Amino acid sequence: MPKSRRLSNAGSRRGPLLPYLLLAPAVAVLLALSIYPLIYSISVSLQTAAGWGLGNFTRLLSDNFFLTAMAHTFVYAIAALTCEFLLGLGLALLLNSQIRGRGLFRASLLVPMMLPPVVAGVVWRLLLNPNFGAVNGTLKQIGIDTESLTWTASPRLAMLSVIAVDVWQWTPFVFLVLLAGLQAIPQEPYEAALIDGSSRWQTFRHVTLPLLKPAILIVLLLRTMDLLRVFDQIFILTEGGPGFATETISLYIYRTAFRFFDFGYAAAMSFVLLIVTNVISVFYIRVLKHETQIQ
Amino acid sequence: MKHRFSKYVALSVALAAALAPVYWMFTISLKSEIDHFASPPPWFNFTPTLEHYYEAFVTRSFGQYLITSAVVAVISTLCALVLGTFAAYSLARFRLPYNLDSRLSMWILSTRMFPAIVTAVPLFLMMRDLRLLNTKAALIIVYTAFNLPFVVWMMRGFFDEVPRDLEEAALVDGDSRMGALFRVVLPLVAPGLAATAVFCLIVSWNEFLFALVLTQTDASMTLPVGIAGRVTQYEIKWGVMSAAGAVAIVPILVFAMAMQKYLVRGLSMGAVKG
Repeated sequence: MPKSRRLSNAGSRRGPLLPYLLLAPAVAVLLALSIYPLIYSISVSLQTAAGWGLGNFTRLLSDNFFLTAMAHTFVYAIAALTCEFLLGLGLALLLNSQIRGRGLFRASLLVPMMLPPVVAGVVWRLLLNPNFGAVNGTLKQIGIDTESLTWTASPRLAMLSVIAVDVWQWTPFVFLVLLAGLQAIPQEPYEAALIDGSSRWQTFRHVTLPLLKPAILIVLLLRTMDLLRVFDQIFILTEGGPGFATETISLYIYRTAFRFFDFGYAAAMSFVLLIVTNVISVFYIRVLKHETQIQ
Repeated sequence: MKHRFSKYVALSVALAAALAPVYWMFTISLKSEIDHFASPPPWFNFTPTLEHYYEAFVTRSFGQYLITSAVVAVISTLCALVLGTFAAYSLARFRLPYNLDSRLSMWILSTRMFPAIVTAVPLFLMMRDLRLLNTKAALIIVYTAFNLPFVVWMMRGFFDEVPRDLEEAALVDGDSRMGALFRVVLPLVAPGLAATAVFCLIVSWNEFLFALVLTQTDASMTLPVGIAGRVTQYEIKWGVMSAAGAVAIVPILVFAMAMQKYLVRGLSMGAVKG
């Protein structure tokens, strides 16, 4: 008894400080390496050749390359997100029942999304190579003329190619999250729908979809954030080319900073990207909070 | 019956679509250069050779990039785990005044949401001023900070699942807070800790943009930067690149299979407990 009293006294002496001591190192590292760089970046963006000012920001509005890169980013994000979501949802619905070999299936689907994005880019450069790639080789075998199908080298097909690679790599992620969401739905609402004589579509529309909404929103949020900042695969597959055809905003910022060494302008552009992604994520989180409150 | 059949067809198509591209790269890495250009492309009948692996890892510097990647991934993962686990424990167990604990959690999460390119520019300038460009230390520091929010969120989730009674029993028995953490709580969350560690390893191993910006010399670059450097050059050595790519995949696959159970949770930062 005396022993425990002594220790609880010691605990209360150190107690109020302990939570802060445990947090301090992590908070310090994040302040130094996430927040300080942002502040540093603001000051860099406000420095122009003519001295301090908003020159880098006003320049954005008349820079057609910037506006085009933004447009590419949105086209890329919307197209890839739509495909990944529809394919992932379809697969999840199809496989949300007992089937043989599900473990093997899940394990195989991990492969694309765990790949380093650089290696995913290499894989698809090999496949899409017009001269010896497996895609054109296979098409030729079944009698399709591949003369004009130069994929990443074609201004017309390059964007389509990089979107397809993203869909290949990330549909499994959407599938896995939605499958987890589906499996968390209890059986009762389905039994009720069955008794009511609802059709399959009605059950999906009025039971599955509302209950799956939180999982859907989370997966859309995470994918949107990743898609808007896409860099690695496009850098490997096309380097933003041919010409400017697949240049997204991250690539344009990279080029501005590390090829043209215009750090101020690059920093200004990166703030626009930061604000855009923030606005979109706040929107998603609002909807998500609203949805979970209803339930 | 018909429905069941269509299910297996869809499944097989999805499987083939996921795996065939990666298999194709493996075949390129094992084919001699003549077979690369054969038409129609040989998927199975070719004579395998290890010449590209020899060239990549013995003649060229890919062996060195591989070691750099491993060193950076392991050290940064350890640092992030130590810092992150303590912070997560604090957030999971103590209520701070002014709602500080939940505000800090959200702030920590938000730092992970920054697009990488936003911090890449100032981090490059900072590392240049500190004369840390082209060093492993630069990457270790950056990856530690990058993985930290992830560790905090994952571990907080795992700590929340441990009943408080267990620690309180240890405290009553005369253990200190830290003693209870090390002797009672950590052993219980060990599987979660391991899964979190594997995730950090994978993220650091795969990371490209920071590595590209911060390391450009043979002695400091990681495997993805080394591979990318070969792709964008005028003449592309397909065999060498595929061999390097194949080697880069192997540890990732082993790790991913080992922690399948936590995969969805990890990829969604704990938002979905699949």
